[in-house]
Amino acid sequence: MTGTTLPVPRNVAIVGLGNVLMGDDAFGPYVVASLQAHYDFPEGVELIDAGTPGHELSVYLDGRDVLIVVDAVLAAGSPGDLRSYTDDEVVARPPSLVTSPHEPGLRDALMKLAFSGRAPQRLLLVGVISSDIELGAGLSEPVSRAVPAAEEAILESLAQIGIVPSPKNPSSDPAIWWE
Amino acid sequence: MARITIDPITRIEGHLRIDVEVDGGVVRDAWSVGTMWRGIELILKGRDPREAWIFTQRICGVCTTVHAIASVRAVENALGMEIPLNAQYIRNLLVTAHALHDHIVHFYHLSALDWVDVVSALKADPVKAAGIAESLSPWPKNGKREMEATKARLAGFVAGGQLGIFTNGYWGHPAMRLSPEVNLIAVSHYLQALDIQRKANQAVAILGGKTPNIQNLAVGGVANPINLDSPAALNMEKLYTVKSLLDEVVAFVQQVYVPDVCAIGAMYPDWFKYGAGVTNYLAVPELPLDTKGTKFDMPGGTIIGGRPDSYTPITSFQDKYFKDNVTEGIARAHYEGSWDKHPWEETTDPKPGEVDHDGKYSWVKAPRFKGMPMQVGPTAQVYMAYVAGHEPTRRWANAALDKASKIAGAKLSPEILHSTLGRHAARAIRAAVMSELALKHWNLLAENIGKGDFTTFNEPKIGNEEVRGVGFHEAPRGALSHWVVMKDKKIANYQAVVPSTWNAGPRDGKGQRGPYEASLIGNPVADPKRPLEVLRTIHSFDPCLSCAIHTVDMEGNEQSRVKVL
Repeated sequence: MTGTTLPVPRNVAIVGLGNVLMGDDAFGPYVVASLQAHYDFPEGVELIDAGTPGHELSVYLDGRDVLIVVDAVLAAGSPGDLRSYTDDEVVARPPSLVTSPHEPGLRDALMKLAFSGRAPQRLLLVGVISSDIELGAGLSEPVSRAVPAAEEAILESLAQIGIVPSPKNPSSDPAIWWE
Repeated sequence: MARITIDPITRIEGHLRIDVEVDGGVVRDAWSVGTMWRGIELILKGRDPREAWIFTQRICGVCTTVHAIASVRAVENALGMEIPLNAQYIRNLLVTAHALHDHIVHFYHLSALDWVDVVSALKADPVKAAGIAESLSPWPKNGKREMEATKARLAGFVAGGQLGIFTNGYWGHPAMRLSPEVNLIAVSHYLQALDIQRKANQAVAILGGKTPNIQNLAVGGVANPINLDSPAALNMEKLYTVKSLLDEVVAFVQQVYVPDVCAIGAMYPDWFKYGAGVTNYLAVPELPLDTKGTKFDMPGGTIIGGRPDSYTPITSFQDKYFKDNVTEGIARAHYEGSWDKHPWEETTDPKPGEVDHDGKYSWVKAPRFKGMPMQVGPTAQVYMAYVAGHEPTRRWANAALDKASKIAGAKLSPEILHSTLGRHAARAIRAAVMSELALKHWNLLAENIGKGDFTTFNEPKIGNEEVRGVGFHEAPRGALSHWVVMKDKKIANYQAVVPSTWNAGPRDGKGQRGPYEASLIGNPVADPKRPLEVLRTIHSFDPCLSCAIHTVDMEGNEQSRVKVL
């Protein structure tokens, strides 16, 4: 496709994953709430606080042109560090042994969709290395500091595909009802 | 003797670990270990009771709707409230759409791989497969074309070296017994179920305002205004969209899910003998038909020791028999002390520790009814409804048993429900009953609106005095109850006694095993390194230990672990 301009994708989802009652696990929903408070997104871009939907996750990823997932990740580094992964990097590892409906995680949902021919065409995972994932509402300080950078990373990747959300004027406070 | 530990380590902390002792190819003892603690009351204390449901639906990302429903019912019960008929019907539609979704996904996406050998489907003759499928059901997507397309898709997937989602399937295991053709039918329906899942979810989203966390609920009713002229409100157009989505889901349940369970069940007759475990059953009545919750479309009650003559009904949201007899115990759970308490009186003081099979070993408490362990879930609910003479349950159960008996060439009675496969059969029967009732409650709602009743909400009046309430809901995994104590307009105590606590709970102070533990004893295990049979029995309960967190592991290679000592 070199030399031609790709059309702007029409079916984009930004999905925040995580349990808002479990400390830093709320990072995904937190970033989604922040983006919603700060920007108006063009038609065709859906922002979803998906919680921890387990086997239902595939419903929200199904058939997307571009999928951006925000989540906590287990990776080398310090709490609050952001890590980005694209497409195959996310799916390369084997899925979990499914014992409960929570177990099908992101990777499992993507593989299920790949089998049915409805996997997202492009995938970006913006992950934060978390500090405290324990019962209780509120992000730890280092993870909380990573929220603006995660928003930035998402805006950048949207810009690459020709999507530029307009800043809200005035912008509102994120609806973080769980804190 | 071998001791096997199955411990999914997919998260920072796991949720469920099963330890079994195997001797002579048979499970001799078992321990169900919940590895994560939960204390929703610590988050709820001091909050406005009217907002509790917004938090409780986040306890568990899978069971959002059910914790929302149980919570508003608990607060309404404490306040002695009635809710408008429309609100009751809208909630019932949410409940049925969610349950159908949940049951379909459980069978096809979470447990079918225990019985279906995906790789074997590559050897299937699509024409023969279509012939079998068409003989079982009038479902239009059972033809040669569908089967050929599924086989081609599967072949492509396997050739690409990406078995992906099926990597953990135990294909080629000696306990696998379906023909390649039946395996192919199952894979084809696995794919179709993904599409149906989306439709059920859409129905919930329209009624609930949003998924996975619904927003249209309220203490006192629902927050959907009904206005037939407003595009923003619940209007006829939206109701008809819900109806057409439900129609598709209902057809799939009746024409695909039920026949598939009959066919697969008939090929594994041994599994109607294993896995009964605790045959004390508890189910709560569901789908209220009046504003107070005194008449229901699905019965509830208790059955002790599987004896039909022991059936004692639970008849209303105010039922004293239920309210008085539930306790939770911590003798073997990681909490300070050793007590059995009524949920309103419970405290939560975690006492972290190692897994000690002779002492405390689980984070899950042990719920008891009159001091007895109880199995909850589809087998409890369906067996009880059958015993109680519930017409739709008897009709669907008899039809399913006849169909499976014909395939098996042996007469199957309702007693097969007390087993590992019986739980799958009961879930399919329950889904069929609920599919009928979903459409019935859609009609009830449309008729009531047709009479000019648009009310959906009664304003709750909260005083300063201390009041207590219980809200129960027969959720997809069984009897769920939320227990609330309110004082000075705030939450003073809150407990959720969830289905997977009833089923996955540990031993109690008297040493009585919980249902998971009891059900594993006597199970065969052909290969301790691949304990498929243990997974079959545990999966048949549809385990769901709440309080999920979500973290993607980008480093660990080993995603789950089966350890044989």
